[in-house]
Amino acid sequence: MEEDHALGGGGAAPDPDGPDGVRMTWNSWPRNKVEASKCVVPVAASFAPIRSSPSLAVLPYPPLRCKPPCGSVLNPFARVDFAAKMWICPLCFSRNHFPPHYAGISEANVPGELYPQCTTVEYAPPPLDSTAPPPLPVFLFVLDICLIEEELEFVKSAMRRAIGLLPDHALVGLITFGTQVHLHELGFADMSKVYLFQGTKEIPKEQILDQLGLSIAGVRHGAVNVAPRGPQANGFHSSTSVNRFLLPASDCEYTLNSLLDELQTDKWPVEAGNRALRCTGVALSVAAGLLGACISGTGARIIALVGGPCTIGPGMIVSKDLSEPVRSHKDLDKDAAPHFQKAVKFYDNLAKQLVNQGHVLDLFASALDQVGVAEMKVAVERTGGLVVLAESFGHPVFKDSFKRIFEDGEQSLGLSFNGTLEINCSKDIKIQGIIGPCTSLEKKGALCADTVVGQGNTTSWKMCGLDRSTCLTVFFDISPSERSNQSGIPNPQLYLQFLTNYQNPEGQMRLRVTTVTRRWVDGSNTEELVEGFDQETAAVVLARYISLKMEMEEEFDATRWLDRSLIRLCSRFGDYRKDDPASFTLHPNFSILPQFIFNLRRSQFVQVFNNSPDETAYFCILLNRESITNSVVMIQPSLLSYSFSSPPAPALLDVASIAADRILLLDAYFSIVIFHGMTIAQWRNMGYQNQPEHQAFAQLLQAPHDDALGIIADRFPVPRLVVCDQHGSQARFLLAKLNPSATYNSGQEVVPGGDVIFTDDVSLQVFCEHLQRLAVQS
Amino acid sequence: MMCSADDELPAVACFSLKHFTVLAATMDVAVMTSLAPIRCSSVSPSRSLSTSMASSSPPFASGPPQPRPWFSPTPDPNVAGAAQNSQIGRPQTSSGAPPPFAGPTLASSRPGPPPPFSSRPPPSGAVPQGPIASNGPPVPGFTAPRIPPTPSVQKAAPVGTPASIRAPPPSATASQAPGVRPFPGSPPAGASLTAHASPFVGPPASQPFGRPPAVQSPFAGPPTSQPSFTGSPTSQRPFGGPPTSQPPFAGAPTSQRPFAGQPTSQPPFAGQPTSQPFSGPSAQAFTGRPTSQPYTGPLTSQPYAGRPSSPSYMGAPASQPFSQPPTMGTPFGVPAWPLQPGQVAPSMPGNVQAPPRMFGMPPGMPGQSMSPVPPAMGHTPLAGSQVSTPSKIDPNQIPRPMPSSSVTVFETRHGNQANVPPPATSNFVAKDNGNCSPRLMRCTMNQIPCTGDLLSTSSMPLALMVQPLALPHPSEEPIQIVDFGESGPIRCSRCKGYINSFMRFIDHGRRFVCNLCGFTNETPRDYYCNLGPDGRRRDADERPELCRGTVEFIATREYMVRDPMPAVFFFLIDVSMNAVQTGATAAACSAISQSLADLPDGPRTGVGVATFDCSIHFYNLKRASQQPLMLIIPDIHDVYTPLHSDIIVQLTEYRQSLEQLLENIPSMFESNKVAESAFGAAIKAGFLALKPTGGKLLVFQSVLPSVGVGSLSSREAEGRTNVSSGDKEAHKLLQPADKTLKTMAIEFAEYQVCVDIFVTTQTFVDIASISVVPGTTGGQVYYYYPFNALSDPGKLYNDLRWNISRPQGFEAVMRVRCSQGLQVQEYSGNFCKRIPTDIDLPGIDCDKTIMVTFKHDDKFQDNAECAFQCAVLHTTVYGQRRIRVINLSLPCTNMLSSLFRSADLDTQFACFLKQAASSIPMSPLSQVREQIINLCINILYAYRKFCATVSSSGQLILPEALKLLPLYTLALSKSIGLQNDGRLDDRSYWVSRVASLSISLAIPLVYPRMISIHDLTTREDDGSLLSSNIPLSSEHINDDGIYLLENGEDGLIYVGSMASPETLQKIFGVSSVDGLPSQLVLQQFDNDLSKKLNEVINEIRQQRCSYLRLRLCRKGDPSGLLFLSYMVEDKTPGALSYVEFLVHVHRQIQNKMS
Repeated sequence: MEEDHALGGGGAAPDPDGPDGVRMTWNSWPRNKVEASKCVVPVAASFAPIRSSPSLAVLPYPPLRCKPPCGSVLNPFARVDFAAKMWICPLCFSRNHFPPHYAGISEANVPGELYPQCTTVEYAPPPLDSTAPPPLPVFLFVLDICLIEEELEFVKSAMRRAIGLLPDHALVGLITFGTQVHLHELGFADMSKVYLFQGTKEIPKEQILDQLGLSIAGVRHGAVNVAPRGPQANGFHSSTSVNRFLLPASDCEYTLNSLLDELQTDKWPVEAGNRALRCTGVALSVAAGLLGACISGTGARIIALVGGPCTIGPGMIVSKDLSEPVRSHKDLDKDAAPHFQKAVKFYDNLAKQLVNQGHVLDLFASALDQVGVAEMKVAVERTGGLVVLAESFGHPVFKDSFKRIFEDGEQSLGLSFNGTLEINCSKDIKIQGIIGPCTSLEKKGALCADTVVGQGNTTSWKMCGLDRSTCLTVFFDISPSERSNQSGIPNPQLYLQFLTNYQNPEGQMRLRVTTVTRRWVDGSNTEELVEGFDQETAAVVLARYISLKMEMEEEFDATRWLDRSLIRLCSRFGDYRKDDPASFTLHPNFSILPQFIFNLRRSQFVQVFNNSPDETAYFCILLNRESITNSVVMIQPSLLSYSFSSPPAPALLDVASIAADRILLLDAYFSIVIFHGMTIAQWRNMGYQNQPEHQAFAQLLQAPHDDALGIIADRFPVPRLVVCDQHGSQARFLLAKLNPSATYNSGQEVVPGGDVIFTDDVSLQVFCEHLQRLAVQS
Repeated sequence: MMCSADDELPAVACFSLKHFTVLAATMDVAVMTSLAPIRCSSVSPSRSLSTSMASSSPPFASGPPQPRPWFSPTPDPNVAGAAQNSQIGRPQTSSGAPPPFAGPTLASSRPGPPPPFSSRPPPSGAVPQGPIASNGPPVPGFTAPRIPPTPSVQKAAPVGTPASIRAPPPSATASQAPGVRPFPGSPPAGASLTAHASPFVGPPASQPFGRPPAVQSPFAGPPTSQPSFTGSPTSQRPFGGPPTSQPPFAGAPTSQRPFAGQPTSQPPFAGQPTSQPFSGPSAQAFTGRPTSQPYTGPLTSQPYAGRPSSPSYMGAPASQPFSQPPTMGTPFGVPAWPLQPGQVAPSMPGNVQAPPRMFGMPPGMPGQSMSPVPPAMGHTPLAGSQVSTPSKIDPNQIPRPMPSSSVTVFETRHGNQANVPPPATSNFVAKDNGNCSPRLMRCTMNQIPCTGDLLSTSSMPLALMVQPLALPHPSEEPIQIVDFGESGPIRCSRCKGYINSFMRFIDHGRRFVCNLCGFTNETPRDYYCNLGPDGRRRDADERPELCRGTVEFIATREYMVRDPMPAVFFFLIDVSMNAVQTGATAAACSAISQSLADLPDGPRTGVGVATFDCSIHFYNLKRASQQPLMLIIPDIHDVYTPLHSDIIVQLTEYRQSLEQLLENIPSMFESNKVAESAFGAAIKAGFLALKPTGGKLLVFQSVLPSVGVGSLSSREAEGRTNVSSGDKEAHKLLQPADKTLKTMAIEFAEYQVCVDIFVTTQTFVDIASISVVPGTTGGQVYYYYPFNALSDPGKLYNDLRWNISRPQGFEAVMRVRCSQGLQVQEYSGNFCKRIPTDIDLPGIDCDKTIMVTFKHDDKFQDNAECAFQCAVLHTTVYGQRRIRVINLSLPCTNMLSSLFRSADLDTQFACFLKQAASSIPMSPLSQVREQIINLCINILYAYRKFCATVSSSGQLILPEALKLLPLYTLALSKSIGLQNDGRLDDRSYWVSRVASLSISLAIPLVYPRMISIHDLTTREDDGSLLSSNIPLSSEHINDDGIYLLENGEDGLIYVGSMASPETLQKIFGVSSVDGLPSQLVLQQFDNDLSKKLNEVINEIRQQRCSYLRLRLCRKGDPSGLLFLSYMVEDKTPGALSYVEFLVHVHRQIQNKMS
């Protein structure tokens, strides 16, 4: 399965991630550190904690755990002594007695978690207090009103639709902001009430609560709340009255709709030559502060709809003066973005607060200019929030994505809350950290490696928000201790166990346990290592790894680093004679990797200068949270070709694939391009498809559209659909992704109907030639 | 003990007109018996009335709008009442005298004024004397009010002299009478008419008239008076106001007669008359008549003056006079009588002349060149002519304010000479012919000392009281508006003084000399005009700026930094738990809602509303749906405003929404549990909303600001403990707690935001701290403690209504310039001062007064004039930028006696009051008290030492003009602000109120007016409702009586424990004292007494421009103690009685002399 790189089909191929949703760069692990470092590609696992799986077993009782400090959950790999009613933990080899209620266990009567195919099971123990209703999810909308009328109307209609889709029991709140933050009190009957906060001042959470009369003491407002003791039905502190601001959707739908009707663009004047004053930062901290009044454990999302850059207060990314452009990558490199660090720090703190509270920040940014995703990235990513970047609130990328998050059923994203991930591993394995939408809980343990990648220094992570597609990349370190070497009988298998506690969309707490095992191999045995290599995962892990490094390390030269790694990898695992490039071959498990790397080098992840920092941040967030399959598409788009002569088929991602009588469908993850060859375009323009005798043509035209819609329907955020014709201006979306095997100066004859790319970039062929040459150098 | 004055004049008169001498024999002070009943120069009331009237919208809605006294010929009960009061010099007299008089007079007057008079005169003449004599004996007049003899009369009687004196008057009167008749007829008639209430009418009419005549006659008036009358054409002027000037005189006489006719009346009158002279009116008379010289002149003249004016005004005046003025006048009046004669004689000639000036504002002035102050009074004289009863001072005869009922016409200049203005509390019509109306600006002395040494020798203060937008009397000519077009008003190029009638054009008009700095300027070409033979520009009389003391220039662009601001009103309402539960919120909302109608009309008028508790709630009314949006500012430490626009909406367009909102607010916050108040943050937020335009911020506050910026702590409790441990620092509690509010206020002022605070509380709110804000921004504090939802909303509404509808200006800058030789030392009042020379007034209104003190930096020539010019650049409520320029030019003198003669008691006392108020928070109380008493002593000592050297040392000699200074000083030392045990807030409020208080309200504040109301109807016969003031002494309070005491703000109704059930039923609708409600809402029942009472109260309201806060006081209650605390003449633990105080003062002076 690992080789399956037919990238196109959504779900046609067998699940590449297997039942466990775990993919590793190396499925055979070198036994020691030195060997591991020789492997070049880090030992890492990509893991989707709660991806949906039809075969998932749900057990209605609490899990059985190994004695501390291990704490692993009983799994199919445990050795069970049915007679003695004991089990041996495969990770730590401790013996555990079965508790009395497992007394009936026998070879013929095995609990679900011990079935061999149940490496992933989900426990759904009945809640301790069965009478308490599950905590209600909270949706707090934070709406930018520094918009032009048209955009505001788009937002309003999107909001109205969303309100209609909200589950009745969900609690809803509304904050609008411009120069100031307006917190709408929905539960006040006499008159619409709005609390205002100044946009220029950062307000600590306590102060917000105090000012809203929500502080625990409630002293200031003298709010002698007569509320009954004990947790309230809606899951808030009894002493507070946050339900003035957060109401069940069914109760406040009318209020919200009338509020939206009244909503106007920000009235504060914008001087000529200035940007509107927009206090995104304060608005978000007010939202976070308000949610702070919810008791912990309440799943809550802040859904921020932002239409422009933050220009005042904390989180400001650019001054209001229009003569100052929003920072570019160049500015960031040169340290010429005066607001950047401050803003990042602000959002970092916001992220900490949100994680602390267990709440999520979702960001819907729609603007032609940047809105500050680069700065907000940290808050979004740490809390496991969703992010969508579009150019207008009227654009389908926003509209459809926004709708998706409230949809139910099959289409549902399965938005869950309050996830906590714990990882247990066999000894000799340490965890460096995780790249992905989570936050380290700083729970240090014996399993923590000295070096840290991403969110590390812990064996436990918080995922305030997670969904079915959420994917984390765990980096491992192999550091056998002295003692383990002495133990003599090295166990050939290593075990990893992922424990994910979360609150599912229905509000129930679940614990998903995934236990996987892999083989230890002797480092010197390249053969075995090669067999266990997953080049897709490796490409993605490398991409994630370098994007992290690019962010963290100044002066990091990603291209060089990639080239060097690839060369090292090839010289280690390639099959060649020294200094004879022609003799160079690669095992099929490695064969596509150079192409991945070639495309990665040209991708938006490495070549950031074509993009704004916002876009880069956006791409990275998604790269880090998407599944391997999707991430590979981001790195190396898939191309399908449609023509009369053949059924739809994958085509080479090469300019040579362009032909006048073909339709190409490019899936670059963020955008989907339907490219009509010249002839096709002409035919279409002449309307042949409308003529009954040319039904086939109509079908040909329709096929890529149907496929594109299939992809779009499955993807979040919704990709941008570009329909273009050869030589049209939009064709650049395709050309940019193709291997420039034919350029304006390549001198080759252009096939009639073909195309050339105006670039000086090297083509894949040249790249590979160099690679071969360098790999075989002694 | 008594000493007689030097004069040979009848012994009776102890006081010369000018001085009020108290004889002090050894320890016992011999009081001058001859004090005529104190006659209040009632002028002030009239003023207040006028003021109130003037304002387009009567301040108090609740009261039925009263017809303006002056104008309305129709009888106005109130007026009548007032008139009566005025007459009543002494309480007793009033009570006693009035009735009798009333009867006759009334009858006569109504039917046909003339006839009565004529008839009266004769009788009066006879009667008066008789009565007097009789009165004399009966002294106890007090007790038996009705008894013909008035106290004054009585006094006179004892003296003996009076009789003789009077005799003459009669004759005089008689003679006058004829002339008078025409007049009298008219005046009286008018009076009667005005009086409406026939009963009243009678009295008032008679009284006014009566007094004067009586006076004259007593004094010698006869001979002199006549001459004077006849002689003085000038006098006519005063009268003239009323067409026949001469007649007035005559009228006066006639009036006298009536009085005379009525025995009782006369006596009182007599007393009164004297008082009148003092007050001003008498002076006028004098002045009017040159002839009056003889002596009496003054006296007689006074009466006249009084009369004339009254006639012209008619009933109205009378009423006015009574109320406030009386006090002022009284001092003089009473004592004056007897004394005057004597005194006059001594010093005299000069005196004589003087007198005219004083009083005669109108007539006298012109005629006499003598500027001297009303010589009569002022003069050195000492005259302590008569001795009163030997050993004791007769408390009934010591100087007291006397109401005067008449309206006088006051010409500000005559014959190129400044006239001495009538008392601020008297009722006068100012005629601006060069100097400004004294309502707008008046000086503590009407002659300016040439040197600083002379000033310091006198110990008197040199200060101007400027009330730049003061309400005019309705009969006064409006201030003229002058538009110089684009070039703007002509100004001196050196000192920037504005063109005025005292600038001298020379060189055929090509150049003019600035009267302030002496610089010679070129006349702009298009302003050039030839000079006439008299050296004046030929067009001087056509150009208001060249012939009027006060003009308003249209400001040009260069006087604006931006377009004139619109009138914007922002209301802030406390909705904290306490405010809601006490009903304060509802009261405020309803008051605002009702007041919306009174806001200036026009598209530029903006209104905003916000509420606050521990957060601030704004309301956005500009919404598509009907519902307003509440915008809450929760951050009370760093305040901001919610919207750029829409917080303040156009009144015309959003009136209904505003009303709806105001109606909803109380119910919205009905169950508010927030006890905290973020007052500081709220005003800051309101300010921010007003910042773009400036405007008025009206705050309704109910509890101590406890949270947010500018929060305060409950210092009162802390303060108490401090006091007990030692009160050295006690006064610090009257200082603002910190500088936060001050800093804020300065910022407010910078952006032209004027803050008024309505404190509707039942607890301590630290007024000392919060009053800083209005104090700095030109606003004021209104205080309703303890707030009561039943009785206070009426006052709250009326205060608010008056606040927003009274004449006012915005974004004002004021500067006072004066001639070289003086310089401005300090401004004090409610304003913000950023540069030394100007004061900024975000808001200035007709009630605000600013005190400006001066010091010498050079000498004046003896015959020079010193000019003062106050320029107020302001924006009207309709958005016009104007410069009001107020000019006053006064003669300079080298004579100390002239200074004393021209001293202006009202102004000086207002000055003392303000100085005392400002030092209260700064110094220990004992020190403040000592200061004011020393000030009084020093002045009297200076006078005694340098101007009354001939007197025997056993006499306490008071300069006539300052006769009442000891009484007021005593009252001041006992006033709320200076009470040891007063509540902090009460005292702070007092201090803050005094800071901007006008002169005419200053005296009632410390020496309130008290009248009896149980006998209103029975007394009515004798005249105006407010005529009979009772001295503030518990001796005069009877258990079966019901009394009303008012100080311009509070009205205390004291119900004696034995009050008649019938009366109680009539007034309160309950039959026993025990059944009285604790909170008073005065209702009008269908009986005469109740109607009368309501009329009286309404009249007072108009006079004071204040809706009285009525409270019931019962003996034995705390409320009763409160009432008694106003009895300033009583001896109290730790404080002297009035008599004792006089003895004390005398002793101190003696000590200094030796």
